[in-house]
Amino acid sequence: MRARRPALVLILVLTLALVGASSNAGAQTRLVIVSGLAGAPKYAQAFSQLSNALAQAAKDRAGLPDSAIAWYGDPAGTKSRWHRGPSQRDTLEAVLGRFGERPVAEQLVLVLIGHGSGEGADTKISLPGPDLTARDFSRILGRLGSRRVAFLNLTSASGDMMSVLAAPGRVVITATKSAFERNESHFGEYFVEAFAKDGADTDKDNRVSMLEAFRYADAETKRLYDADGRLATEHPQIADESEVARLFFLTPGARARASGNARLNVLYAETFALDEQIQALRKKKDSMTADAYDAELERLLVPLALKSREIRQLEKGP
Amino acid sequence: MRSSRIAFCVFTVLVLATPGLSAQADSMTVRVNAAVRSYERGERAAANREFQTFIDIYNTRADRLTSSEFVAVAVAVTYLGVDDPQLFKDALKAYDRAIAADPDNLDARVRLGELFLLKFNAEEAKKTLTAALAKKSSYVPALIAEARRRDFDNEPGADSLLDRALELEPESVSGRVLKARFLADVEDFAGAAREADRALKAGPENAEALAFRAALARVAGDSLANADARRRYSALYPKEADVQLATAELLSRVRQYANAAEVAREGAQLDPTNWRVHAVRGANLLRMGDVAAAKRSLETAFKGDPYDIWAKNTLDLLDTFGEYDEITNERFTFMIEKAESQILSLYLKELLDRGYSTFQKRYAWTPPVPVRVEVYRSHADFSVRTVGLAGIGALGVSFGNTIAFDSPAAKDAGPFNWGSTAWHELAHTFTLGSSDHRVPRWLSEGLSVFEERRAHPGWGQSVSPSFLKAFEDKKLVPASRMNDGFIRPAFPQQVMLSYYQASLLCEMIARDFGEPALVQMLQAYRGGASTEQVVARVLKLDAAGFDRRFDAYLRERFGRAMAAVSDRDASVEQHMPADELVARANAKPDNYWLQLAVGRALIARKDYTKATEVLERARALFPEYGGAEGAYGGLVRARQASGDVKGAAATLQAMSALGEMPYEMHLTLADLWLQQGDTAKAADALENALFMNPFDIAQHERLAELFARSGDKRRAVRERMAVVALRPVDVAEAQYRLALAYRNAGDLRNAKRSVLRALEEAPHFERAQELLLALVEPKP
Repeated sequence: MRARRPALVLILVLTLALVGASSNAGAQTRLVIVSGLAGAPKYAQAFSQLSNALAQAAKDRAGLPDSAIAWYGDPAGTKSRWHRGPSQRDTLEAVLGRFGERPVAEQLVLVLIGHGSGEGADTKISLPGPDLTARDFSRILGRLGSRRVAFLNLTSASGDMMSVLAAPGRVVITATKSAFERNESHFGEYFVEAFAKDGADTDKDNRVSMLEAFRYADAETKRLYDADGRLATEHPQIADESEVARLFFLTPGARARASGNARLNVLYAETFALDEQIQALRKKKDSMTADAYDAELERLLVPLALKSREIRQLEKGP
Repeated sequence: MRSSRIAFCVFTVLVLATPGLSAQADSMTVRVNAAVRSYERGERAAANREFQTFIDIYNTRADRLTSSEFVAVAVAVTYLGVDDPQLFKDALKAYDRAIAADPDNLDARVRLGELFLLKFNAEEAKKTLTAALAKKSSYVPALIAEARRRDFDNEPGADSLLDRALELEPESVSGRVLKARFLADVEDFAGAAREADRALKAGPENAEALAFRAALARVAGDSLANADARRRYSALYPKEADVQLATAELLSRVRQYANAAEVAREGAQLDPTNWRVHAVRGANLLRMGDVAAAKRSLETAFKGDPYDIWAKNTLDLLDTFGEYDEITNERFTFMIEKAESQILSLYLKELLDRGYSTFQKRYAWTPPVPVRVEVYRSHADFSVRTVGLAGIGALGVSFGNTIAFDSPAAKDAGPFNWGSTAWHELAHTFTLGSSDHRVPRWLSEGLSVFEERRAHPGWGQSVSPSFLKAFEDKKLVPASRMNDGFIRPAFPQQVMLSYYQASLLCEMIARDFGEPALVQMLQAYRGGASTEQVVARVLKLDAAGFDRRFDAYLRERFGRAMAAVSDRDASVEQHMPADELVARANAKPDNYWLQLAVGRALIARKDYTKATEVLERARALFPEYGGAEGAYGGLVRARQASGDVKGAAATLQAMSALGEMPYEMHLTLADLWLQQGDTAKAADALENALFMNPFDIAQHERLAELFARSGDKRRAVRERMAVVALRPVDVAEAQYRLALAYRNAGDLRNAKRSVLRALEEAPHFERAQELLLALVEPKP
């Protein structure tokens, strides 16, 4: 009983912090990182480092303000400026519950780091105190309505959360394919690295989508096991919503910067149309000869390159 | 191959002994023997009708049959099982009843063991034969069957068991035939013929003896003896194909795969129900690269005998061929698993094309094209491809115009140099082909290792202390019996040492008699000459002279090193001060091992200057030995630790030229050269590393940079292609850089193609967009 009282105080403080952050109208993404119960000093350190690295990348590379980043962690771990409190069930329920009151245009990126266990709807992340299960997260996220949500469970044994949490318009990623892959997971390290380092932005639009981060981390995890000559004990998975994941970013895109410049608006509209045509062409690739496909691709890519060049010049200014 | 002696089992032990049996048992035994004779004469329908009656007897009178009668039923059902393989299970039941009825019926136990072996179930065969020998350890049929079983399982003791059986019953026909087979396995065809003749003297009508005698005569080129044995066999067994089966298997053993396939075809035509002959035909067609025809034969074999594990394994493997790409050019067809076909073919095309040109000129022979090159990502698959079973120790194989080897990704094969392996196997294609597949193994292997060493510094085997020790202990075979080192090894490491020994023999011939002598030897073998005749004709030496010459060559070449490694007294106390260590090394300056031990101890004490002095002395004593545990490894460590980058690089470079080095050491060498700004040598080191591990994208990127810096535009393109082939996460960047490399090399067409691939992946990729515009915009 005595142990619970300080936690209640913290909840109040944290809730206020989040409400305070909501006044920053410029932010479109809220990043909530939950690092669970470490159990051992080496994990406490590892979870803290990973959480901080993600927060740092979100700030430095995706341009999220500090106020849009919140990290809840094991009290045993080291803390940083993004640390908002302990990753206790009640705290998290309250924080995420409050999020439903925010403008629906704001998207939520919820990242779980730590040890996982359980099976099916009882799959859970180990937290200090009572844990949160897939069933709990389903209930919590269900209250967020049509808001765009990325639920990224980087814990071990996280695979069964996929079937419980997958929903239209929602990005769901798990570090393993089942509840039985319980060994320490490395996928999370590479997933964070995707945002923290160069290399994951494979479509070169200067931002890393959830799909790009997933593919990067998946490939690097496989490479790790191959290099070590080990059989992989984790097989990450992503919900079958690749189009959603392809367009889900930590940061808003360059198009947002076009507001107020008519020529830029036209150019962006034209490049967007060309993008669509290129996507459509790619789908027809298998039915075309290589030469015909390349000719058509070149016909679309050359004007796109010219318009992109003009956009860059306009954005750079005189 | 081993399979033949299993296939013969049924036909060699069928005739039942009759003395002492009851009238009824005698009657059934006589009847089944008569049916067997009838079957062998080719009256199969009548024989099968008679065999069928034994099933009726079993079904109506099983509770009253004696042990011998059950055996007669089992024999009958075994014959019926040729057409209906499920009936073999009934034969097993009948044998079990026979043993239950009379546990002392050793004949039943041995027949059951033979049947298990016939159906490739060696485990049950072993149990059954062990039980028979426990009843009577001197029972000759059990000893012979167990010798067969051990040979099948590659277990030691097959020869000694057979010798014991022949001591007990010197004129045992099946024993003598098995002895002949064992001798043929080690290519002692004259000895095998003597054993087969002795068997025929004791059993002039024995099917297995006649068939094997015919096969031996065919391989020895003795057409008269071959015709005689065939005539005698076909008079007795007009519709049986055992002559063709034995001949095909023996031809296959001496690497005459095309002839083996043709003889097996004749056998299958004569007896379409001889399932083994179909399987042997399939195996040899596969060796020749005719996958479709091989599959048809193997499917026939497996349908007829679903117990044939070789056919099953090979068919399972063929089912995976859809996962492979086939890439064909003027000289080669590469069959490589899709996941790695792009990266491996990139290097194999270049490497083997160079090999083809080199060998074509050197051996004055052109193989039929395309040469088929199969690369297996799983060592188990490679093993099945080679011998039909998992567990082979080799990394590569050449069947002549088809070569196969492990992919560097085959983790179950361990680390190895896949470039030198491919080169080695391709050399076989030319030595086998130019000799019409008559080159003995020693010369083919010796030339392949010799060719490896000539192709690239560090490739191919090199001298080791264990080789010198074996030479000093007179454990190496003399030159005139070099083949024995491969096919009759006297100790476990002998085959590996023989590869190197044979390569030295080739080196000596090239040095003392000129390189054309090696080609003349191949041509002499092609003409059917024996090794003794070849040596006499080409080298003008008799066997003793050949032996003396090679012995002198080895002593001349390694005499000093041999003396240095012969004294193994290299004890060094753990806490001995550095000066005392040096004094001890100085006291015995010609002891290689002592210099090494002192050098290592000085490194442990961080006295790198003294360690280097002592280890340099060790190197001077045995400069040809580049093993990591030798002087070079210690010198590199000492020089690196003392900051002597230049010295460490030079030493490691010298070490790399003396034999295979682990992947990481090649990377270290590259780093050492880069630290000195020598990009050309760094690139060489990285290229060597690729033949240990071609899957590291970072090294290809480094190499591409180095080639670009040194102006080697062709290889810069190759390395950028390698990066793309390895499917990096950032495909767009990889394709863009490939496009730049193409453009630098003046290949604008491919540059545009690659930049389109980059932009297809990432349409807004700024640098790629600019490159595309530069490539399509008209030049002013």
